[in-house]
Amino acid sequence: MPEKSEGKKKILYVQTSGIDTPERLYAPFILAMTAQAMDLDASIYFLIKGITVLKKGATERIKISNFPTLKEIMDQAIKAGVKMYACAQSCDLLNMPKGDLITGVAVAGAATVNDLVLEADGVLYF
Amino acid sequence: METELDLRGLYCPIPVLRTREEIEKVKVGDELRVMADDPAAEEDLKRWAKRAGQEVLDVKKEGEDITVTIRRVK
Repeated sequence: MPEKSEGKKKILYVQTSGIDTPERLYAPFILAMTAQAMDLDASIYFLIKGITVLKKGATERIKISNFPTLKEIMDQAIKAGVKMYACAQSCDLLNMPKGDLITGVAVAGAATVNDLVLEADGVLYF
Repeated sequence: METELDLRGLYCPIPVLRTREEIEKVKVGDELRVMADDPAAEEDLKRWAKRAGQEVLDVKKEGEDITVTIRRVK
């Protein structure tokens, strides 16, 4: 399922919130995994503080109310085929070495996020 | 052939994700009868089916429970 992205509608989630606002972090993963199940091609672009979510070990420590840990939700999204991008400049801005990013995330830049927004059929910002 | 899937007690987005998994286990042309009590399930399942190219044949409501019958089209 996730491999066949030709001809599918695209949906992009832009995550600018970081681990200091954990309540804002679940929705993009949940929406994106559901989008994949709806035959949409879903991507999440982590920008500015959003990249703190992708730091190794960060999501394991986040758990709200009766929800599973953010790590469990993120892993389900990855398994569903959601593509994840980390903004390279945001890593530099927040002094986060790119080696601290979890695996499976594409490091990308300004042209990529502009292009993803333009080519998406819909974009949601968090 | 009709397969039943009882998703009562499970909440968004699990009913949609489980329905997606189960529809792939029934044959094209066969039906999947999904029971749910998540208040979001009716609207979500109808929209999921439309996007996923599957056909909703029937929606029945009884109290908090809904039963959505979906035919696997592809």
